[in-house]
Formats: sequence, structure tokens, C-alpha cells
Amino acid sequence: MTDFIKNPVVPLPDRMPDPVVAKDDLFFTEDEKKQIATWVSRYPTADGAVMRVLWLAQEKFGFLPPEAVQLVADTLDMPYAKVYGVATFYTQYFKEKKGTYVFDVCTCFSCQMCGGYDMLHYLEDKLSIHAGDTTEDGLFTVQEAECLGACGSAPMLQVTNGPYVHNLTREKIDALIDALREGNMPQFESVTLPQDENELGGNRRTDVARTTTYTTPPVSETVK
Amino acid sequence: MPKITIDNRTIEVEDGVTLLQSCLDEDLEIPHFCYHPAMTAPANCRQCLVEVGMPRVDRETRERVMDEDGNPVIDFMPKLQTSCSMKVADGMVVRSHRTSELVKRAQKDNLEFLLINHPLDCPICDQAGNCPLQNQTYKYGPEGSRFEFRKVAKPKNIELGPRVVLDGERCINCTRCTRFTQEISGSHQLTIIERGVRNYPMTPPGVVFDEPYSMNVIDICPVGALTSKDHRFKARIWEMSQTPSISTTNAKGSNCVYHVKDNLVLNITTRTNMGVNEFWLADEDRLDYKKFNENRPDGPTVRGQARDWDAAWTEAATLLSGVDGARIQFLGSAHATTEDNYLLSRLAAHVGADTPSYIPHIEEGHGDGWLRTDDRAPNSQGCERLGFFPVDADVLKSRLSAGEIDVLYVMEDDPVGTGVCALSDLEGVKIILHHYHSTNATLPAASVALPAAMAVETVGTFVNCDGHAQRLRPAKAIRGVNRTLAMEVGKSRADLHGTPFDRWYTESNMVDCEPGWVSIPAIAERVGLNLSYKGPRAIMAELSDSNPAFQGATYDAMGEWGFRLDVVGQSEPHPQTA
Ligand code: SF4
Ligand code: FES
Ligand code: FES
Repeated sequence: MTDFIKNPVVPLPDRMPDPVVAKDDLFFTEDEKKQIATWVSRYPTADGAVMRVLWLAQEKFGFLPPEAVQLVADTLDMPYAKVYGVATFYTQYFKEKKGTYVFDVCTCFSCQMCGGYDMLHYLEDKLSIHAGDTTEDGLFTVQEAECLGACGSAPMLQVTNGPYVHNLTREKIDALIDALREGNMPQFESVTLPQDENELGGNRRTDVARTTTYTTPPVSETVK
Repeated sequence: MPKITIDNRTIEVEDGVTLLQSCLDEDLEIPHFCYHPAMTAPANCRQCLVEVGMPRVDRETRERVMDEDGNPVIDFMPKLQTSCSMKVADGMVVRSHRTSELVKRAQKDNLEFLLINHPLDCPICDQAGNCPLQNQTYKYGPEGSRFEFRKVAKPKNIELGPRVVLDGERCINCTRCTRFTQEISGSHQLTIIERGVRNYPMTPPGVVFDEPYSMNVIDICPVGALTSKDHRFKARIWEMSQTPSISTTNAKGSNCVYHVKDNLVLNITTRTNMGVNEFWLADEDRLDYKKFNENRPDGPTVRGQARDWDAAWTEAATLLSGVDGARIQFLGSAHATTEDNYLLSRLAAHVGADTPSYIPHIEEGHGDGWLRTDDRAPNSQGCERLGFFPVDADVLKSRLSAGEIDVLYVMEDDPVGTGVCALSDLEGVKIILHHYHSTNATLPAASVALPAAMAVETVGTFVNCDGHAQRLRPAKAIRGVNRTLAMEVGKSRADLHGTPFDRWYTESNMVDCEPGWVSIPAIAERVGLNLSYKGPRAIMAELSDSNPAFQGATYDAMGEWGFRLDVVGQSEPHPQTA
């Protein structure tokens, strides 16, 4: 967000982009269509399933170029403009090609106070890119995110709209990148309260394998 | 009907209506931006907040609870409510900014929010002077802003389509424009993209905002974010006079406002008429104004030589006299007013000619069942109701080539330009032509050419495709001084902005032409027919009395919104008056 505050410029998207997905690849398979039909059946109108289907398209094509948005619109018989509006509203839908792993580093209030920017800048230095950019090998994208709802374990980041990495430190970032280079995604981790350690064997949830405990968060170096 | 109390005033309102609309119906202003009566209410601008309370009801008895004085106890909702999305209910008590400090404060703060990223470029903004945001900020807004950071820069001067230009920074994201494309026109060409401070309306990639009704979003945009590519930076709203009249591009007769500066029509915008075009106006109606300004003739001519009006009328009368009526062909016009066509039919009857026909201007497939019609002329119905038939080009041509026509009298049309006949067909035929433009293709063959006043320069009546008779009001002045016209111009060019707009006075912008109801009686007089009326109002009064197809259509009955005529087939030919 710092960049935007210093230089608050909203760009105009390319209004007449060339398609990137080949025509022959632009379809949903029969299985996908069946899956979409089940989602649609859960809502009074097909519009209700738009977010799920956009997600499916993003997983399939890697990101959502206009032609993928059009495919979703056609599949759900919705106006293309409306689906495009939804796709641009959510930052989790990627409108352009990103790295294989996308780091959403939270720099919102709580994380900021606990060193969110320190972590962001460390990542930027480590990967030699600026927030918003992708490494040359196409492996990593770093971007700033607003509150991801895990302030208790600030600072934190999210990997490609998936698992969170809590209580970030430089060492954790080093380990994360090494693991990702090997192709190992971090696992989902449930964060629990210290008192749960004694009471529930450390975990309120029975459905997760990995837990970590809230710790007193660090204070941002710039705030200190 | 439910009774509600607004600012200590109790009124009866229609059931099922929103609170905001009932206030507006009562002429009680509530500031608002996103609400539009024809569209759904998203309640996103938050400007229409009011305090709303309902009478307390005893849970057991279901009776209203009364206080010691016998008045119902009112429970106010804990938060302010958006009046645009709140339906009225019996007993509702409302406090607006007139009685509530809280509401006043909310309106002020909301405006401060709306203006955080709004550029202060009113001095160069086309909307200034006619801008709900500007007006309401003056009335209800804060004096200054506490926002001290750089404003967000968004795309500016973006052509959403061929006719509409976006300034993203001015947008307050009311979504009126996107709702128009979703709910009214159904083109779905616009959407709001991005979120938070970054959002603005845009076409999705690969789409151009080119629907035939795109320019309506310019009217409904409550700020200057959407402007007309054509009219941008041409004139400030207060430099122009605004005349309520009707458009001439098709047979729908959509109601519009002509904006005139220095006797040039510079812009056409919509005028609400729930009986015809509701709130909307097609783009073609808006852009069709250059014809009023350009290529206009400069006074009458006789065989190509400039003459004064007297001489030209006399020459026309000479051509009509001493010819067998059966050898004179009259062509009325679907572009001319009903009054002028009526006078023409009287003249035709007097010289013993057939009832005039008229040239149809049908463009198959152009109409869309909404505000555009296949018929590209504004008054075909008026002609039909006068008993005129569309001219049969083949019959006319064969009569011309057989030498059966000596004189062709053409009112406000162009038989050569429309392809009804060719210049070569007209050799040896004397032609009297009332024309609008010096580019009229029949002009070279005309013996007498009489420049005619166009729809924005005359007084008269058009009947639209649904039989709605509507009045034309003069928006610009012509050279010839005419009492009736001068009075009507004075009346119809309401000075909305308290400015002496007629300061701009370029003589050449006033066309040397005459309305049909001046020219035709002048010629009639010279062939011994008295057609002098006290202006078109009297002509229409006579017509509405004597011709069942126009029954009731007096100027008073037509007023601002027109008069729906009975459905009739072809009316009887007019009673032949001596
Ligand atoms: S451009 Fe105008 S009409 Fe459209 S959302 Fe913005 S303010 Fe509203
Ligand atoms: S501020 Fe970072 S997760 Fe809430
Ligand atoms: S008019 Fe009610 S919220 Fe905009």
C-alpha cells in the first residue's frame, strides 16, 4: 500500500488485449461442467456460482485473461461485463500471469506494527524484485495484501491464495523459499491459544494435523 | 394509503413507494445521487440518509402504545436509514435535514467523503452549473476538506465508446451508468471495475460502449465523469438557452431540450415525458442538431436569383395561377408541421389540385421497438391524419414523363435527394420548393425556392407514431420578424440560469427563412384564398374542431406533454373550403 499512498495512480487496464489462451484450449471439460452444474444447483440463480466458477477457471488457466472471464460468463449465461466486474473486484483473482508461488505479504495495521514491512522488504531483497513483480524464473511473485484475518499471528503471509505462514521471521522466509524451490508447499497450520496447550492437547480442532501457538508478536523495526 | 410524518408534516403517500420518492413527489428535497426512479436502488452513495421511526406496538394487544398526551410513542431506528431503499409504512415518522442535526451532519460528512478524491476542476468541467454534486455540496456540504494527501489519480479522457468520454477521477461510483446498461438498455457494456478507492466504470476488455442509447448515461451521471464527446468543452450550460421541445430524427417524437447559444443549436438532451420517451433519448436524436445550423439557405430565390420575399411569393402565385389544377402536384412533408401541411392542403384544394401526398422516409430495420423507428421523419402520422398518402414514386415519374404535371409544389422536402425522381425527370416542370438546406438536391430545378423554418425555429404540431400530438417550440430565432414567433421565442427560451444569453448576437446565425404558416398564406393570398390565421395556435384549434383525426388536440391540451389522439384510420379528406 505504501507505493499507492506515495503515488496513488490507478492504471487503465488494456482495453483491447490479444488473447493468451488458444481458442482450442478455451473450454470446460465434461467433468468440469458437471462440477459447475452441482455448484449452480445450490443457488436460486446461476449467478450465485460465479465466484466458484471463476476460481475453477483460474486454477485451470493459471490466471483470468478476458477470454477466460468470457468463458465463465457464457457457461453461466451471465453478462460478460458483470463477471469481469467480479473478477476485478477480488484481488485473489489474478488478472495477469503471476509466478508459480504468489506471496501475499500482509502489510495492514496489525502486521505493519509487528514488522510486516520488514518481512516484505526482506523478501524483496532476497528475490531482487519489487512488490508487485515476478522473479525472472517465473517462480515467485511478491505483493502486498490487506488484512488477511490472522492478525493474532502477525506478521504473516499467504502463499498463492492458499496456506498461511504465521509469525514470520527472516529464518522462516528462508526456509519457506527453500522448500518452495523443492516444490513443497507449506501445510495448513492452525493457530491456537496458549491456554489450549494444557486443556486440549494444544488443539481445539480435531481436523488439522499441524498447529502452532500464538506468541507475543514482535515489534516492527521501524516502529521501535 | 399510508400516512407518514416528515419533519412534523403528515402526508398521505402511495403504498409500496420508497421514502425518498414520496418526499420528491411532495417536492421535499432530500439530497441523493445514486437513486434514479427508473432503476433499482443500490443505496451506495449514502447521501439520502434520514432518521426513521415507527410507532411502538404492544406485542400482546398489537395496538399502538400511546404516551400520556395520547400521541403514539415512536421508536427511532438506532442508525440513520437510506431513504431511497426504505419503503413507506403507515405511521412512519421521518426527520430529514430540515429538523435533524444528526442528518445534517451526516450529509455534510458524507459529502466530505465523496469529495476526498474528487478533483476540484469545476471551472473546466462540462457538468458545472448543472451538477448534482456541485449543487448539493454548496447546499449541504462542508466548507473545506480535511483530506491533506494526494488524491487518487484515475484514467481520464477515456473514450468508453464513440460518443461517451470518461473521467474516472470525477466518478463517485453511484453505478447509475452501469445500471442503465444492465436494467434499461440491456446492452451490458459497462461495469464497475476494481474496488475501494480504485474503482470506476469501464467496459470489459474487447467491448466498446457503442449502444444506440449510450449517451443517456451522460444525463444521469450525477457528476461530470461521463461527458459527450461531441459537446465536450463547446459551451457552458449557462451560456445557452434551454428550450423544451421534441426531437425530429424519427417518428417517436422523443421529448428533448434544445440548448442554443447565439442562435446555434449546440446540444440536445432528454426531457422526461412518461407518455412518450420516459427519461431517455436515443443517441441519434441527440446528435442530429448540426442540420439546424449548417448549410442553411440565405433568403428566397427565383430561378436561382436572390429576390425579396414579396417577389418570390408573387412569382409562386403566378406559377399556380392559370394552370389547370389537375396539372399541379402538391407534395406535403413528414418533416413539416401538421399546421403547415393543413394549410398546404387548403391551398391545393383552392387551385383544384388533388390532396397532397408526402414523401415517406422509411428505413427498414432501423427501428428497435423502443425510441427509434423505421420512419425517419417526425410527422408522417400528421400527414396521414390529414388524409395524405405516401407518394408512389413510379406513378409520379410516369406522370412526369408523360408531361401530365406542369407545376410541382414541394413543401419542406427533397424529391430528388430522396430518390423519388431525378433532376432529369423534372425538366420543363415549374417547381415551387420550400427547403431547409442549400444542399437540397431539388434546388437546382426550382423555379421559386422559399427557405423554410426548421422544427427549432417554428411553432407547430407533430404527431408521433403512437398518435401522440406534441408541440414544437422555437429554440432559435430567424431573420424575419414575426410577432407570434417573437413572442413564442421569448416564452420558450426560458433563461434557466439568470444570464442574458442573447448577448451573443451574430446576425448570420439567424437564417433568412419563413415558417410554412407565413409563406403559404402569403402565396394563398395572391391566388385569392384567405388563409390568414392568428398563428398556428388558431390553425390547430380549427383542425381539432373540424377534423376527427385531430379531435381535442388544441395547444392548451397538448401543453408540455402532448395529447394522445384517438386511434383512427385515414381521416376523411378535409372539407373543401372555398
Ligand atoms: S460515471 Fe457517473 S453515473 Fe457512472 S458510476 Fe460514476 S458517477 Fe455514477
Ligand atoms: S493485519 Fe495482517 S492479518 Fe490482519
Ligand atoms: S440515493 Fe440513497 S444511498 Fe444513494
